[in-house]
Amino acid sequence: MAAKKFKDLIPDVSESVKKALRQASVEIMNGLVKSGPAYSGEFSSAWYAVQPGETPGKNRSTGRIYRYDLRNVPKSKFKNLRQGTYYEIANGMEYAPYALDLEPGSFRSQLDENGDIIKPIKQPVAEDGRRTGQLRGQVTGGQGGISISTAPLDWYNTYVQGAALERDFGRGVKLGFRDGPLGSKKGFG
Amino acid sequence: MDYQKIRAAVENPLLTAFNGLSPAVPVYFDNITAVPPNTTTEYVRVNVTFGITNEPTLTGSVDNARGALIIRVFTEKGKGPARNQTLLTTAVNVLETLNNTAKTDSGVFFRVGEINGPTFSATEESPHFMGRIDAGYVATVLS
Repeated sequence: MAAKKFKDLIPDVSESVKKALRQASVEIMNGLVKSGPAYSGEFSSAWYAVQPGETPGKNRSTGRIYRYDLRNVPKSKFKNLRQGTYYEIANGMEYAPYALDLEPGSFRSQLDENGDIIKPIKQPVAEDGRRTGQLRGQVTGGQGGISISTAPLDWYNTYVQGAALERDFGRGVKLGFRDGPLGSKKGFG
Repeated sequence: MDYQKIRAAVENPLLTAFNGLSPAVPVYFDNITAVPPNTTTEYVRVNVTFGITNEPTLTGSVDNARGALIIRVFTEKGKGPARNQTLLTTAVNVLETLNNTAKTDSGVFFRVGEINGPTFSATEESPHFMGRIDAGYVATVLS
């Protein structure tokens, strides 16, 4: 088997980098879903890989835990990849700053029109107490009330700064290169 | 791994610093119900979270943990940002002191990464103006 000339490798390297970035985006978005809240499922399905200044879209689904795959990070988005280009993983829901615990916000009622508790799609991390403030976790301890929370306070900071983001990025890059034109799945040379 | 030692390494100096102010400013940590709503009393809320523990490194196994430190300062709304910023400065000074503390043979070696913020927000419903900083940290338990 003839070895490829070095210049012939350039498109393959470029393709591999794109695949690695796309797969890393997928891993990160799934990591955010795992770490973050999911009550109706809207917020967790509204993560997008966007270029700075680009507006992310709205929720892709509701009523279920959304699972991201490469279709959510289309190849066309990475067509003009150049040195210095970067992407952001952003959430498109208007209440994202509150869900990310970055700003205080108003919480929706967790009761339906009959006064029954609306069950979240994710296992709650806390489900009693009355709200005493406008942040997740600002609740009284077990003194009545139904403050259901499906993620711990500051889950987003914990994900980003507590090394889980790096882990997911690394896993995505590895998977992307493995599945790319230079990877072990496709052969080399 | 001793998570309590790690938590204490950052919570104790913050508590000491805010208690040392005149008047002392209450500090609320994890699993402590903060002051009731509709009060203009200023207070500080500190959240220490744990991310990944003992991640494998090239140099072998180390007893360390990574996580996030989020400090929120609540002061009276409608009075300008000065008081809030003064209290945030107290918090940042504590973190800088921690970063300048030399590594010893025992205890916890605590290092805070870059500090994001401060960012400020206020809502119609709340009587407070909130200032917020956050940072990642790496803590190694040495004994």
